[in-house]
Amino acid sequence: MTRNLPDPATDVPPDEEPTAVCAHCERPFRSVHARDLHVGEVHEAEATETERERYERVIETERDDLWLFHARTVVALGVVYSTTVILYMVVLGQFG
Amino acid sequence: MTDSPDGGWRRAVGRAVARGVARVGPWPLAVALVGTASAHSGSLGGAAASATVPTWLTVLTGGVVVGATFLFTTLLTDHDAMRSVNWSRVALPAPALARRALVRGCQLVSVALLGLVFVTGLSGTTTPTRNFALLFVWTGWWAGFTMTTYLVGNTWPAFDPFRAIAGVVRRVLDALLDGSAGTVAPDRTDGGTATVPASPAPRLPEEWGVWPAVAGLLALVYVEVVSPIGSNPRSLALVVAAYGLVTVAGAVVYGRTWFDRVDPVSRVFLTYGRVAPVQRDGDGLSLRIPGTAATEEVLPDRPGETAFVVALLWVTTYDGLVATPLWARLVEPVVGAGVPAVLVHVVVLLAGFALFLGGYRLSSRAVRERAETYVAVDEIERWFAPSLVPIAAGYHVAHFMGYFLTLAPALAAVAASPFAPPATVALVLPGWFGSVKLACVLLGHVLAVWVAHSLAFELFPGVLAAIRSQVPTVVVMVFYTMVSLWVITQPYVPPPFV
Ligand SMILES: [Zn+2]
Repeated sequence: MTRNLPDPATDVPPDEEPTAVCAHCERPFRSVHARDLHVGEVHEAEATETERERYERVIETERDDLWLFHARTVVALGVVYSTTVILYMVVLGQFG
Repeated sequence: MTDSPDGGWRRAVGRAVARGVARVGPWPLAVALVGTASAHSGSLGGAAASATVPTWLTVLTGGVVVGATFLFTTLLTDHDAMRSVNWSRVALPAPALARRALVRGCQLVSVALLGLVFVTGLSGTTTPTRNFALLFVWTGWWAGFTMTTYLVGNTWPAFDPFRAIAGVVRRVLDALLDGSAGTVAPDRTDGGTATVPASPAPRLPEEWGVWPAVAGLLALVYVEVVSPIGSNPRSLALVVAAYGLVTVAGAVVYGRTWFDRVDPVSRVFLTYGRVAPVQRDGDGLSLRIPGTAATEEVLPDRPGETAFVVALLWVTTYDGLVATPLWARLVEPVVGAGVPAVLVHVVVLLAGFALFLGGYRLSSRAVRERAETYVAVDEIERWFAPSLVPIAAGYHVAHFMGYFLTLAPALAAVAASPFAPPATVALVLPGWFGSVKLACVLLGHVLAVWVAHSLAFELFPGVLAAIRSQVPTVVVMVFYTMVSLWVITQPYVPPPFV
């Protein structure tokens, strides 16, 4: 699928040198990680062999981090749900 | 409730429904969250038993639902699947010829209705529930028509009577001027809804962007709050006439630019239309999942585009805020100290707008930090602004759905005989309707979380940066949900001193 949205304008502070820049569209990035992801997502067709390998690697990192993040999300959802139930039981119990 | 003479009639009716909420409590919502099965067995009418859910808990629950929705959407990280949902559409048949004929028909109807509003507004009965102008403008147009712009699609360019009149005036003037100058009239064949030709001569300064529309929207809402146009048909007709004169004159001078950058009414409907299921798609129309059109559209790069969306959100809040008991309690000592009430209203209107705009800007800065990106702050503001539209729409429907249903029978009866209107009765809505309103506010926020989530995936590479970037926005949304739910659950108090 292709994106329908325009490329976003970027704004690098004057005293800062971007950590990474896209070789295809010159978009600056704060991390090599984000640049490698961008190249794989947006320039899939023109990417070089090295860029493809880098993309594979950052995707792997993302997958691991995401697993941890999702585990925490599920715990947070559980806490929110049970807190809400207990809160309702307490409040409604007072009046019941 | 139908005869409060001092400006509060329009809201008074709208808020009669809100009063039900405070009394009854949002029990289906609460029960749905707790997961008790008795929600469905209990008859919806017997809501009295649920008077036990206090307002603070309702408000808090709203915040929790929005926060939990965000946590839930972070589990949906398949970008291609998100796109296939957001981009799915069905083309609707809309032959150009039929569309043009339909637009002509709409214009004729709406110009006739405008005439009827003037006649009944200036010379009809002054009993609000029997006056066609009042019922039509507030119930039919501002409540009913506005709801169609986000629930169905933005049809205002086709209906706008002022656009139609301006088109005719423009053509007549062109014919006169061209005739006297002896030149050939330029080709004015433009398709569809565009009856006002692009302007050749005077231009608005580009650096103003759509700020004139922002100012216009704030001004309109201010007039609506402090003047008696909600209950007095004479002043309503005069305000409509003044607005119409300015709009037609502006459109004749500036052409289509006027509706694009100045006319607040056109922009309100355009903005609401961004989340509607029926969208213009190239040359035709298509049917989309509600809200998904907003995930494919960043606001144009012009000054004031973001400010207009924020202003729309603020004025819906303001409209409700000035009718709460808290407002009355806060304003009375200030006015007692000698400050004119109209001044208090304008200061709060502008200060609140500045607060909303500043809050949105701060949260966009925080998004930039959290996502560790070089994307410019104003780009982030414009990128995510469409996600505010479902919130404004949810709030509008919560405010006006009950009002519309309450007075729709009266409008129908009076419309059948506008010059000899029968006595009408307002429909009494059941108590559970209050919960429907709360659900509408929440649904708007849930949709907003989804739109922002989708837009973040389009803006930031990878998954985690997109998710992290959403945290500041969600914090603001949770806070805003709670404020608007609180306003909705407040009993109606007419704004004092206006
Ligand atoms: Zn690139």
